Amino acid sequence: MVAAAFSDFMQQVVSGLASGGIYALLALALVIIHRSTGVINFAQGEMATLSTYIAWALIAHHGWRYWPAFVGTLVFSFVGGVGIHRVVIRPVERGSVLRIVIVTIGLLVAINGFVVWEWSGEPQQLQSPFGTETYDIGGVIVAAQDIGTIAVALGIVLLLWGLFQFTKVGLALRAAAVNPEEARLVGVRVTWMLALGWGLAALLGAVAGMLTAPTVGLDPNMMAAVLIYAFAAAVLGGIDSPIGAVVGGLLIGVLLNMLSFLSQYGAFDWFTEELRLPMALLIILGVLLVRPQGIFGKPEVKRV
Amino acid sequence: MIARRSVASAVVGAALVFALPAAFAGSAADPGVSATTIVIGGTSPLTGPAASYASVARGAKAYFDFVNAGGGVSKRKIDYRIVDDAYNPAQTVQAVRRLVEQDKVFAVFNTLGTEANLAIRDYLNQVKVPQLFVASGATTWGRDAAKYPWTIGFQPSYAAEGLNYGQYIARTKKQAKVAVLFQNDDYGKDLLASLKQGLARSGSKVVAAEPYQVTSPDVGSQIAKLKASGANVLCIFATPTFAIQAYVFANRLGWKPLVINNAVSGTSNIMVLASEGGKNKLVEGTITTTVLKDPTDPRWNKDAGMKQYRALLAKYAKGANPNDVYHVYGMAVAYETVGVLKRLGANPTRVGLMARARSISSAKNPFLLPGVSVKTGKGDNFPIQQGQLQRWTKGRFVPVGGLWTSKRN
Amino acid sequence: MTPRTQRIIGFVAFAAFVVFVAVLPSFVSDFNAREYSYVAIYLIALLGLNILTGYTGQISLGHGAFMAIGGYTTAILMAGNEQFGGPMAGGLKDVWTLPIAGLVAGLFGLAFGLPALRLSGLYLALATFAIAVAMPSTVKRFAEFSGGGQGIQLFGIPELTGSISNVNVLGRSLSPNDWMYYLAWSIALVMFAGAWLILRGRTGRAFRAVRDSETAAVSSGVSLARYKTLAFGISAAYAGVAGGLFAIASAFVNPDTFPVALSIFLLVGIVVGGLGGLSGLVFGAIFIAFLPLWAQGQDLGSLLPGRIIEETQKPGGPAIVYGVVLILLMFVLPNGVGGLFRRIGQLITNRRYSRSK
Repeated sequence: MVAAAFSDFMQQVVSGLASGGIYALLALALVIIHRSTGVINFAQGEMATLSTYIAWALIAHHGWRYWPAFVGTLVFSFVGGVGIHRVVIRPVERGSVLRIVIVTIGLLVAINGFVVWEWSGEPQQLQSPFGTETYDIGGVIVAAQDIGTIAVALGIVLLLWGLFQFTKVGLALRAAAVNPEEARLVGVRVTWMLALGWGLAALLGAVAGMLTAPTVGLDPNMMAAVLIYAFAAAVLGGIDSPIGAVVGGLLIGVLLNMLSFLSQYGAFDWFTEELRLPMALLIILGVLLVRPQGIFGKPEVKRV
Repeated sequence: MIARRSVASAVVGAALVFALPAAFAGSAADPGVSATTIVIGGTSPLTGPAASYASVARGAKAYFDFVNAGGGVSKRKIDYRIVDDAYNPAQTVQAVRRLVEQDKVFAVFNTLGTEANLAIRDYLNQVKVPQLFVASGATTWGRDAAKYPWTIGFQPSYAAEGLNYGQYIARTKKQAKVAVLFQNDDYGKDLLASLKQGLARSGSKVVAAEPYQVTSPDVGSQIAKLKASGANVLCIFATPTFAIQAYVFANRLGWKPLVINNAVSGTSNIMVLASEGGKNKLVEGTITTTVLKDPTDPRWNKDAGMKQYRALLAKYAKGANPNDVYHVYGMAVAYETVGVLKRLGANPTRVGLMARARSISSAKNPFLLPGVSVKTGKGDNFPIQQGQLQRWTKGRFVPVGGLWTSKRN
Repeated sequence: MTPRTQRIIGFVAFAAFVVFVAVLPSFVSDFNAREYSYVAIYLIALLGLNILTGYTGQISLGHGAFMAIGGYTTAILMAGNEQFGGPMAGGLKDVWTLPIAGLVAGLFGLAFGLPALRLSGLYLALATFAIAVAMPSTVKRFAEFSGGGQGIQLFGIPELTGSISNVNVLGRSLSPNDWMYYLAWSIALVMFAGAWLILRGRTGRAFRAVRDSETAAVSSGVSLARYKTLAFGISAAYAGVAGGLFAIASAFVNPDTFPVALSIFLLVGIVVGGLGGLSGLVFGAIFIAFLPLWAQGQDLGSLLPGRIIEETQKPGGPAIVYGVVLILLMFVLPNGVGGLFRRIGQLITNRRYSRSK
């Protein structure tokens, strides 16, 4: 009985890491955008959904194979992200916070509407390249999908880290985010760097969406909840810290599954599944109130 | 005893229907009826979490367009207005008030969603506007007809459906342990309660039941908990998106129960999606029930009704997916509506509409399974009380046994 | 133009508006009266949000949750929750529930305002967004108290004035829709007057000081904690009253009647309408109440050419229109429509002083 409980527990940990990986990707997207342009992109989830639908359309309607469609979607998403920044965000970037929030909300509504308009609200299925097999590892049943998700998420994060640390473009991106005026002085084309940030964020969102769809099904509201968890992860880890986003995402994924697992036992049975989302939001509120900069962030200093 | 009570309530119901306030007496025509059109309207979740049901309204509209092209009913064209309520009952209330007080519809028709219809039922019965053929299987539409004489449902009730699943398990699996995933509202709870009734006095019982919300992101943790209960039967009382997820998660956890999927999600296009391109074997052997002809079932390839269905959809609902069986439902209910309107004759009244709706005897609906009849009468306020159990076998549904009939609800 | 002249013009304009509101039902259909009562309801919520965001600069994406608190307070006080296993018996007439709805919501607002002091700008927006998202699930969780997913039906119960028959007020017999209209608008106008009184006094000056520069405000002795929290409480109370009226108007509450979209629309209404003056807020309320309808081709939207209607009628079309209109409005009218009105007003009144700009 204990062995059964243990294998259930491990199963929850693994799937928690898999969903956590997805939250990490989306949280990373949020962090990149916030660091570079100071905007919280409420439309990040919808942009990811749009990208996933494009991947699906390429496969289901145009006969593309999975990996070419994957790459094609990444390219499209990157270009789309850059385009959105230049056309929609740049004009209001320097304005009031309120204006920016409304613009990203307008994006959210419009993109969600477009997905429904173009492909209808019927649920669809995007197959994953990892298949539906499960492996028995020491008594714990692990799904290929979960392993694949963790691998892809980690891979992308490492690639991104490599980009930021070891390339000139990465350096320029970091410079533009930290100190735009001085970056401009040394010849960094700041506006393009900011747009690049949005492109990268859109790309991350696309991956997150394509990893999410095979499990929860492809429909227009697929990423709504994932976005909330990603917010929680970004806030927990520190809204300006990429490492924080990744750590925060994994933590939240595992934590929520732990609560689910424990809710079978007396002390935790108040945790019904309806409380999953509110729990994530409680984390957001809690962190913002107790330590607003998150685990890895630096406290905000307000200048007089 | 039961029969007498039903007769009494039916008499009361009929009395309420026919007791007109002074305002209606003497009016030449009811609102929504002109020399050339009859206006009916209803809400549908065109956007929001239940957008997959929009096809119900679409199918109905295609059928009405077809009838209109042939001249309409009693020389009147049917103007069917569909309004989006995004599955938000407050929006349903506003939209229906608008339909009644501004658009002056003859009847509110085919409004989708249990909560949505509950929100408007008191109002519509108060202003004596028919709430016709509610697109929800909640038992209350038929059970409470005495209190709400202007409201009538259409599809088989969830209570009848759940009962049949319970009885099926009791018949075929001894000492089964049943786990249930259910939507946490009247629809899910109706199914769960009647499932338990069907299992009563057998060796099988429900060992675990996990609810979820329409706004839940996914049901992974619920499935994990259900698996942990050790059950060998899984009942999915969930809407399509979540039903598919249930299959995906259960399969990933290596759980292989017998699956019973409810009628709302037990359609072949949903089953195909749940099979994950054929890789998810859990779909094999799924039991569900239906009254509709399945567009993907080769049995109906030469069937006149389904040929008409495909033709109408292609002509009047461009871009609609013919494999989506909700379109069939829409046409089935539209067909009956046209039948009722025809019997109303040249001077339709709302009172007359409800009277005819409570005395239907229709056995040849081209979109329902052969043998299923649409029938209402004294003491019988559930238009469809039959169904066909079927099993998903190698990519299609195969009937199990004959039609079941529910006498009480 | 002296401040005194400005104030007199303001009074006259307000009086004219009151007269307009009072006679409007005679010129429009009975049904439209009910639709316009929703404008009043949103106006009350926006008045509150205006105090919070326009005057102390705190952004809230969660005021739909305060409306939900007010709406449920009203519903439970009227219909009780014994039928779900709860402790309340109900029985309070709808009108009398409104002050309580406002009070309860206001208390929650104060309770949130205190910890919210530590948050600013985007962080506060995120935190309040979290509340809006959590509210429906939380309501469902406590189903014995709230009725859970099936909600509370108010239509036809004796506590609801004027759902079934005409209402007698001051000797005149009003139809249910007219009654709703006058109830909502009289409360809205009274609350507007209340907001005006609050804002022109010391409290208002303190609010403005907080918005313009928190550090400066503190150095001039304004207690940030007190005024920011107070603003939250007041704005939540306004939203609570609006929520109670909303419950009365819809005669039904359930968790999905106060979705996240509502909180978002409230903020949108304020920004599109423009922070500050009444005219902007009225426009914002109209925007919230009618744009979704127009986008579906109904009402004024039916004036658009047929081809456009056809494409936008497809599900999702209205949302695209809504989103794009929002974005364009933020480009073109950063201070909202109210800002536009103000600029026009300034152009008219400051003609003589244009050189000294």
